[in-house]
Amino acid sequence: MPFSVPTGLPRAVLAPLRAAVLLLAVSIAVFAATELLPGDAADAVGAGRASAAQLAELRAERGLDRPGWERWAGWAWALLHGDAGRSLLTGRPVLDLVGGRLPATAVLAASAFGLTALLVLLGCALAGRRALRRPGDAGGGLATALTAVPQVVVAAALAALLSGVLGWVPPVSLLPPGGGPPDPSILLLPVLTLALPSAAFGVALLGGVVADALRRPYVTDALIRGVPTGRILRRHVAPVLAAPALRVLAVVVGGLTAGSALVETVFGYAGAGELLVSSVAVRDTPVVQFLGLGSAAAVLAVLLLADLVPVRRTS
Amino acid sequence: MSRISLALAAVLIAVTLLGPALAPYDPAAPVIAPWQASSSGHLLGGDVLGRDVLSRLLAGGRHLLVLSLVSAGAATLVGTLGGLAAGWGGSRVLATGADLLLAVPVLLPALVLAVALPGDAAVVVATVMAGAPLTLGVVRDATAGVREHGYVRAARLRGERTLAVLLREVLPAVAGVLAADLGLRFVTALQLASALAVLGLTDAPATGDWAAMLRENLAGAALNPAALAVPALLLALLSLAVSAAAHAGLRHAFGTGDSW
Repeated sequence: MPFSVPTGLPRAVLAPLRAAVLLLAVSIAVFAATELLPGDAADAVGAGRASAAQLAELRAERGLDRPGWERWAGWAWALLHGDAGRSLLTGRPVLDLVGGRLPATAVLAASAFGLTALLVLLGCALAGRRALRRPGDAGGGLATALTAVPQVVVAAALAALLSGVLGWVPPVSLLPPGGGPPDPSILLLPVLTLALPSAAFGVALLGGVVADALRRPYVTDALIRGVPTGRILRRHVAPVLAAPALRVLAVVVGGLTAGSALVETVFGYAGAGELLVSSVAVRDTPVVQFLGLGSAAAVLAVLLLADLVPVRRTS
Repeated sequence: MSRISLALAAVLIAVTLLGPALAPYDPAAPVIAPWQASSSGHLLGGDVLGRDVLSRLLAGGRHLLVLSLVSAGAATLVGTLGGLAAGWGGSRVLATGADLLLAVPVLLPALVLAVALPGDAAVVVATVMAGAPLTLGVVRDATAGVREHGYVRAARLRGERTLAVLLREVLPAVAGVLAADLGLRFVTALQLASALAVLGLTDAPATGDWAAMLRENLAGAALNPAALAVPALLLALLSLAVSAAAHAGLRHAFGTGDSW
């Protein structure tokens, strides 16, 4: 993301500063959205059965009667000291709950990310080949169209095909109860559902950049002079691609973070995303706050990385 | 291409809105065996509780469609008002921040909002949050573009008030961009609404909901694939048709370039 404030500060200082400010803003937004809108944690715990006096007592006990900014400060301060509070539902520390779910999500996200990267590379190679063969054609229509399809549709279509028609994998991806590594076959549906839309998005954003880079005069010139394709890609195409690719990476990481909530819930895969959705359903605010902020931090970290790489403009 | 997608979108929207009246059976009542395959009386078979899939499909698009339309309309309205003001005043507000928003996965804010708000409201608010800044950027640039055109200058020199110039001269000039933008916001809203419906967080009606049907019938994929495949197909067709029409509209409005 270009950050063009006219200032003398170097990028290496500005980018982390901006990321920190954004994280602060996100923490306020997450806290405000979960705490300050009508219906607080006491209502959720009371579930409509508690009397007004009981609710008031509960609010005083949990500090819900204090002003909003004070509660936000207390939450943020505790978070900085490694205390994310306790689940309203089970009373267990939020960090334990999330920690128990993270390995499963890490396996899923890493596999999906690997497949996405592979598919984006393949898609960009195809876009590049097409650009060389048909210079007037803008291309990228298919990938752009696919980004419009809701992810739940991808999930349903894959389940109908792989599980319903072909019978290769079970329609639900249950983890072994005692922990341990998941059976690879249960990963197939969630990983494909996560990777296909992300890859379509990546190709839609990056394919055009590849095609443009290949159409530049010095690239066509090098091709005519008979410079080896590998060297052209390394010296003329890759440097132009680095910054947009990192930006696409940020979008893909964001997509995988949000998509894991959907995909894990649909396929019954007990990861952090499923925990987020089930916590939203029972209004377990501390868990939602921590997972919401954690997801945002992951996206911001990749955006920071994208910010640190200088944009090379060759036009 | 754009005519076909526009026509397809119009037909789908019409069928969706009229659908509940056309349903052959009560979409909320079990009438056959669960996940029974298609037969002559029940073209698309039964769902998880033995309700008629065809009837539920006909009845199950309206809530999703209306919710997406309302969300998209709200996002475009907010973005248009901001964009007209910013483009007219020559402000570069949000110029650097808007592309950042593309990286924000809109489902996450929607989930966080769904803790305190009803699911439907969360869809509307998240769509506006994610979409309005993008609309604002597009409308701002379009407004700045027509600001110095002869007819706009003429209206200003006639002494018309700024609001009148914006509404009567500028808004019609950017209407094509707005229509295309509304389509893009609709696609985002539909993705979001169907995601929250699948997660069981919206107020999906008992008569059926295309997205909720996907989750209900996932386990029966082998017994009655139609109960899963047809709602998925309808959702895909609706989003593809609207998205293609919107992209064609943008190409038309901006020459050849395709802009997000």
